[in-house]
Amino acid sequence: MTSGTLTRASTKDDDLSSLPVVPARHPWRWVGVAFVLVLAAQFVHGLVTNPAWDWPTFARYFTAQSILTAVGTTIFLTVFGTVLGFALGIVVAVLRMSKSPFLSAVGWTYIWAFRSIPLIVQLLFWFNISYLYQRLSLGIPFGPEFVSFETISLISPMGAAVLGLALHQAAYAAEIVRSGVISVDRGQLEAAAALGIPRFRQLRRIVLPQAMRSILPNAANEVISLFKGTSVVSVMAIGELFYQVQVIYGRNARVVALLMVATVWYIILTTLLSIGQHYVERYFARGDRR
Amino acid sequence: MIEVLGVHKSFGSLEVLRGVSLDVAAGEVVVVLGPSGSGKSTLLRTINHLEKVDRGYITIDGDLIGYQRRGGKLHELKEREILKQRKDIGFVFQNFNLFPHLTALENVAEVAQLADARHFLERVGLEDKADAYPRQLSGGQQQRVAIARALATRPKVVLFDEPTSALDPELVGEVLDVLRDLARSGTTMVVVTHEIGFAREVADRIVFIDEGLIVEEGAPEQVLDHPVHERTRAFLSKVL
Repeated sequence: MTSGTLTRASTKDDDLSSLPVVPARHPWRWVGVAFVLVLAAQFVHGLVTNPAWDWPTFARYFTAQSILTAVGTTIFLTVFGTVLGFALGIVVAVLRMSKSPFLSAVGWTYIWAFRSIPLIVQLLFWFNISYLYQRLSLGIPFGPEFVSFETISLISPMGAAVLGLALHQAAYAAEIVRSGVISVDRGQLEAAAALGIPRFRQLRRIVLPQAMRSILPNAANEVISLFKGTSVVSVMAIGELFYQVQVIYGRNARVVALLMVATVWYIILTTLLSIGQHYVERYFARGDRR
Repeated sequence: MIEVLGVHKSFGSLEVLRGVSLDVAAGEVVVVLGPSGSGKSTLLRTINHLEKVDRGYITIDGDLIGYQRRGGKLHELKEREILKQRKDIGFVFQNFNLFPHLTALENVAEVAQLADARHFLERVGLEDKADAYPRQLSGGQQQRVAIARALATRPKVVLFDEPTSALDPELVGEVLDVLRDLARSGTTMVVVTHEIGFAREVADRIVFIDEGLIVEEGAPEQVLDHPVHERTRAFLSKVL
């Protein structure tokens, strides 16, 4: 730029078109790489040589039956929290986007309420629901009852945990679904309407597949955060992963090693979820490749 | 075939259509000309009830579009009924509005049997692009797929809203060729366009709209070569 004679192709003797092209060099990138590699090496060295990490204890518990069962419980809570949460979330999102002001207000209120209450507080409410309402019954409102149940036998601690996680998740899922739907170009709905495609089919065939592109990264975030968030239900004495390691280190005082057991399991399962996310996103990106 | 009578439409305080009446006979090709903002796109969109009207009505083959007469009033139909009526009215958008996550064939097959969908792609000369996604097609090809899709519900009339305005100049021809074919085969068409040459060649009648009113209408030679109204002359002097 600065020197016109260098950047402008010469008109006279030297023919630049035959010269080889050398890409720009980035020496500072290599300095950065070296810096990060040294830090990483120090960290790994510390993990291996510092006896406080207590790897033998880690190895003994990592695949212990009690831990594997707890991992199963964590997965169970995540799966049910996600599936029920997103199913309810779609319903709430549809309500929130309804043209009817009443339905829209119902959706808005749900989201407002469940985003306002901390998950841990909500879980404790469900856990203690039988103190608030001893009996649940089906019947005519303010009229006769047909059947009634003991609340405590209807809602087990596990049921309360799934219920709490799903209700909490639904509020966030609703907003994610809504953000995906409003990101779809208005012209798509107009085209579908002009073709006379029925409303539900418009949503299922035209809007949702396109909305998925912006829903998925956020949804994956939510699933992963729910997966680790299940550790909150340890307050209800449910034997998920985090509760289980707490129980074990309460007995043997090997806190660090057991926290590492939980950490490594969380990392492994999050990695699997991230890989799954990659493939699902690739599926919904079809049509976007040239 | 299409009857538009006394249609008024406002967006807020802006009156876009101020009493438009228009009859289109079966097999007729009507080209709507007019400056931008004159209401010609809005008129087209009221015909398939993408826009509701404030006053006036539209019928196709004698059936009221979007409304039902009960007592002394016009009641708006349920959305499901309106969607059914739209199967009779093809609509081609300026920006194509193809479904990007579906292939060309799937776009058409969304509203037709697979064999029919192939037939309509053939009709616009794109049978070899059946499995391409919209992004892999040129603008002209996308618009031709959109036309195939609009034809796939076997509509009684097809409305074109500036079908070549979003295209690079060298791609306009292929889309106009398809329109020409349709016109020759007796399709009832209403085309909003700025392509005066196309209007002269294909239109049975030209309608000139300005400020929400039909200013002038007639045969192409008459409106284009001997416009009566001052505003038509002013418009034509800018675009010809």
